[in-house]
Amino acid sequence: MSIEVRNLRKAFGTFVALDDVNLDVPGGELVALLGPSGSGKTTLLRIIAGLEPADQGLIRFEGEDTTDRPVRERQVGFVFQHYALFRHMSVFENIAFGLRVRPRPVRPSDEEIRDTVMGLLRLVQLEALGQRRPSELSGGQRQRVALARALAVKPKVLLLDEPFGALDAKVRKELRRWLRRLHEEVHVTSVFVTHDQEEALEVSDRVVIMNEGRVEQSGTPEEVYERPATPFVYGFLGDVNLFHGRIDRGRVKVGASELDAPEWAEARDQAGVAYVRTYDVELTPSSSGRSSIETIVRHIRAFGPVIRLELDRVEDGGSVEAHLPRAQYDKLGLVKGQRVFVSPTSVRVFAGPADGSAARIA
Amino acid sequence: MRHNSRTVLPGFGLSLGITCTYLSLLVLIPLATVFTKTAELSGPAFWATVTDPRVVASYRVTFGASFVAALVNTVFGLLVAWVLVRYRFPGRRLVDAMVDLPFALPTAVAGIALTTLYVPNGWVGGYLEPLGIQVSYTWIGITVALIFIGLPFVVRTVQPVLDDLEVEVEEAAASLGARRWQTFTRVVFPTVAPALLTGFAMAFARAIGEYGSVVFISGNMPMKTEIVPLLIITKLEQYDYAGATAVALVMLVVSFLLLLTINLLQWVARRRLAV
Repeated sequence: MSIEVRNLRKAFGTFVALDDVNLDVPGGELVALLGPSGSGKTTLLRIIAGLEPADQGLIRFEGEDTTDRPVRERQVGFVFQHYALFRHMSVFENIAFGLRVRPRPVRPSDEEIRDTVMGLLRLVQLEALGQRRPSELSGGQRQRVALARALAVKPKVLLLDEPFGALDAKVRKELRRWLRRLHEEVHVTSVFVTHDQEEALEVSDRVVIMNEGRVEQSGTPEEVYERPATPFVYGFLGDVNLFHGRIDRGRVKVGASELDAPEWAEARDQAGVAYVRTYDVELTPSSSGRSSIETIVRHIRAFGPVIRLELDRVEDGGSVEAHLPRAQYDKLGLVKGQRVFVSPTSVRVFAGPADGSAARIA
Repeated sequence: MRHNSRTVLPGFGLSLGITCTYLSLLVLIPLATVFTKTAELSGPAFWATVTDPRVVASYRVTFGASFVAALVNTVFGLLVAWVLVRYRFPGRRLVDAMVDLPFALPTAVAGIALTTLYVPNGWVGGYLEPLGIQVSYTWIGITVALIFIGLPFVVRTVQPVLDDLEVEVEEAAASLGARRWQTFTRVVFPTVAPALLTGFAMAFARAIGEYGSVVFISGNMPMKTEIVPLLIITKLEQYDYAGATAVALVMLVVSFLLLLTINLLQWVARRRLAV
């Protein structure tokens, strides 16, 4: 069941939550809506579900217009961040709810309901806990119950709103791998909202990055990570250094250094920002050419396989962060206060002055 | 095993002691005198007093009207609480504050106001009269007064529970295909039921003991609109102290049994909810 979103607009008072949003979710895919809080991702999800009306625009499921269809007829499974389980019912009855409220002619028999629920309890690995109350379960277990409850009605589309948001880091990690495996098993078109980039990149087939009510970029995790379309995406996915300078004939001048930017061959002395991932740098004890930037080591965090260095640029005191493999770090033998030259190995240049105050966005 | 009996919540003995003394002085001892005073009557005299047809009729009026009033309060109290919790509208805080007015108002004032409104030539009574409905000086009037004084109990017990029930839970029910009334009967109602029962019990108990507001609107016709508290006062005015306490004793025992039953029901409901 594919989902199409066309020219969707939604405002709350004067706050524009969604501004002309278009989105395509191919059938059977697991898509992540990723963005900072206030970017409109939850609003978009709730409009797809029918929990919120849109001001303008269309929602189509498999080509069929569902914009004005109420939530209970949309056949969507919705999983809430805080589970929203029925606390007066057992786990079993929570999962059975969607089947029990069906009109009599299409309601399954008690036996069929029992089989379905037991099957789902097996799927979410909670077979032994069917008679427990939600209050007797851990957060991760509750979210699995919520998922089973949503799947019980055989939804055409599964929508998850920050499904792991209320869980601690370790459970989160387990649960998102589990969700990925589950999706491979049941293969229902799924959209989940998250503000955690790692979660989005790890779990989904496709990531849609949102900012201020608009879609910034959508693509596979590799695409959006390797080829960010906008400065926002560059900054939002992974750690990155910003170098402000002037673009001129395929070069960016950053202080005394010059970085190559072949895609800007036509540019003539305009403002620009060079984005360099923290691991796309080479450190050398002495200058290795025009692109080298002179820095002083300010801080070293030397644990784990990747060593994180904070460096100060000699020229203007701006900060640079560099991530080095341990072997390389050992070879360099760096100490605090030492002079070192940074050469970006991969640079992406966007025109226009980005916010000058932020030297690095994480 | 001294240090085994240590707990992180010290002061149990002291606080329980104060609680018992306090409750004894304020509740238990005064109530006990009802028993001792009644004991002045012989067995047959006691029985004759409490089964006097006029007294029996008053039991029916008091318990019947109180029960109906508590039921009405349960239904509309839930509605009021729902509106106050779920919707945002101008004047919401004002309405919220108004709910408590029946607590604060002297009950006699309420009784007089209601009587003025509901007499056949009153503001409201004038419209009901042509329909053949008379409120003042009837059983209905008593119920109206009891509804008035019992309203805050249900609203105030249900409100916090509704506050706790996230909108998301209802949204979840809707997304699973539940109709509005299914969401109400299967999700909302079972969740607030224990609180609703508490509110009912409190409104009921309050109504049974109510005197001030009722005596004005009831007309106090023997066998028809006399409530038990009125009969007790009447007996007191006739210096029939033992007779008054005998009737009071019956009230006390019946009320206690009713509240006990409601508490048991509530205990069962809460266990099922297991929050």
